[in-house]
Amino acid sequence: MRIPFFKMFMTSPFEGLQEHAEKVKECAWSFQQAMECYFAAKCKTFEEFRQEVIQIESQADVIKRRIRGHIPKETMMPISNFLLFRYLREQDGVLDAMEDTLDWVSYRSTTKIPSKLEKDFALLVDAVIDPIEQLTTMVAEAREYFGNYSEKQRVVVKDIIHSLHEQENVADEFEDIIKKKVFNMEDDAVSIFHLVRLAETIGFIADHAQNAGDMMRAMISR
Amino acid sequence: MPQEFYVLIIGYVFGFYMAWNIGANDVANSMASSVGAKAITIRQAVFLAGILNIVGAVFIGAHVTNTIRKGIVSTEVLTDPHLALVGAFSALLAAALWVSFATWKSLPVSTTHAIVGAMIGFGIMAGGFSVINWTKLVAVVISWVISPVFSIIISFFMFKLIVKLILSKQDTFSHALKLSPFFIGATFFVVVLSFLFKTPLGKKLTLGPYASMLVAFILAVSFGLVGMKALGWFIKRREGGAEAIFQRIQVGTACYVALAQGANDVANAIGPLAVIYFLVKTGSVGATVPVPVFLLLFGGIGIACGIGMAGHRVMETMGKKITALSNTRGFCVEFSAATTVLVASKMGLPVSTTHAAVGGVLGVGLSRGIEAVNFGIIYKIMLYWVLTVPAAAVTSMVIFKILQFFL
Repeated sequence: MRIPFFKMFMTSPFEGLQEHAEKVKECAWSFQQAMECYFAAKCKTFEEFRQEVIQIESQADVIKRRIRGHIPKETMMPISNFLLFRYLREQDGVLDAMEDTLDWVSYRSTTKIPSKLEKDFALLVDAVIDPIEQLTTMVAEAREYFGNYSEKQRVVVKDIIHSLHEQENVADEFEDIIKKKVFNMEDDAVSIFHLVRLAETIGFIADHAQNAGDMMRAMISR
Repeated sequence: MPQEFYVLIIGYVFGFYMAWNIGANDVANSMASSVGAKAITIRQAVFLAGILNIVGAVFIGAHVTNTIRKGIVSTEVLTDPHLALVGAFSALLAAALWVSFATWKSLPVSTTHAIVGAMIGFGIMAGGFSVINWTKLVAVVISWVISPVFSIIISFFMFKLIVKLILSKQDTFSHALKLSPFFIGATFFVVVLSFLFKTPLGKKLTLGPYASMLVAFILAVSFGLVGMKALGWFIKRREGGAEAIFQRIQVGTACYVALAQGANDVANAIGPLAVIYFLVKTGSVGATVPVPVFLLLFGGIGIACGIGMAGHRVMETMGKKITALSNTRGFCVEFSAATTVLVASKMGLPVSTTHAAVGGVLGVGLSRGIEAVNFGIIYKIMLYWVLTVPAAAVTSMVIFKILQFFL
């Protein structure tokens, strides 16, 4: 029934954001599996997980386009739609960075990570997984904040953003350690380039999560 | 006079049809936010809206009926009984057809606008452009802008207040309970005032404005305190927080809108019918004809029938569509819509409940209370505001010409 009164009520973009964040989380799991497989001596399922990530990424893209496509100019929201789009872009950036990492690995998947770097890479991957999982919590908590505008709730969201920053720092440190070690290895140039770039791409995941946090910080500003 | 007897019957039929359309069309305004917020079930909403529309029509309706009928068009056109009869008929039929078309097409028109437009059409046909009371018309047009704006302002500040005093606190339940006398009292204050100022019964008490204010204030305070006690008694579970408290208060405000709606909108169906009735009964109609209570009752029942028959369908859509409104938000929407309608009809302005309700939602949206509101709808609604009046006027003119052949 088309009643004008109803037309004022639209599907909340936050619902989409939450859905998108869930996809990111889902993707993180496959990403982790793929990387672990790559680190392992005999890896058979890497390609399988990579395809899964690609698939989830395209599903998330659909959600992203749906959110963007359903916010007309006159939409009144607790936040500006500009901020919403920027946030979504960063959250999507997390996904893209995961996909890019796996793509990068796939270009040279036969080359294994040297055993002395294995642990460092594993730590780096773990360090970027944590912030991804926090994104879903952040969106949910922020949504609650926009429901009650309580200062306590704002602090909860701010704490998550703060921890995203800290985790990004941790990831940065691991990235630095890896780069330093790689450049001091006596290996062929192509392998070194592949490893350095790999560490950087993994680092981008945490960067995007941090940026998403920054956008959220702007959204909840008073 | 058998012919006039038939005329009266047909008048009743169209009057009822118009009232039915009002009920079917406007039920969303009063009960939408309550059903959406799950404060009441669909059945309860249909029942409450029906009963309260009748009560509102019968006890508060009289005043507004007169204003619409004689305000827009000069009473000169009523001097010729035959012309007046044809006119009242075409106005009623044109408005009913237009509202019916709007219901079919789901266009956001106001039944008030439709009848005003139809009256203008009849006025122009009967006495030319000079009989139209342009200043009155301008006032009416202004009131169409004022009603959503006024409603936006009230709901905006009401929601800001609720956020500041209740929602942002740690224990929203006890804050809401502590402040509930204010919200209940504010609702009662407006209801009592409108009762004292507008109803025949209230007027008999002949209280001055200050005395009325005082009486309303005392009643509001006492009802507020009793309400708080009742809420504390009924709601034992604190987990629901402020929303649980407002869920109950909201039932009250929903009733308040339905009441205001009955009072305001019954005139749209009964105004022209009253003219027909008096022309048939007495052969003439003066400038000030009191609207008999049974006609108001007839209109109220017509609205209630519309609600009862078509209300279900509307409410079902409503329950699914409006999930964005929590109880606190719904309260703001309803409070502002009802206050706007009652204040405006007190000022003798025919306002649209639809626009007041739309304004209420937009006000909460503006105060960042809803995750996403489509503000663009306001432009669309404005377009239909402008269109409704001339469309109803032209329809009325055409029907007037046709009816002149027969009557």
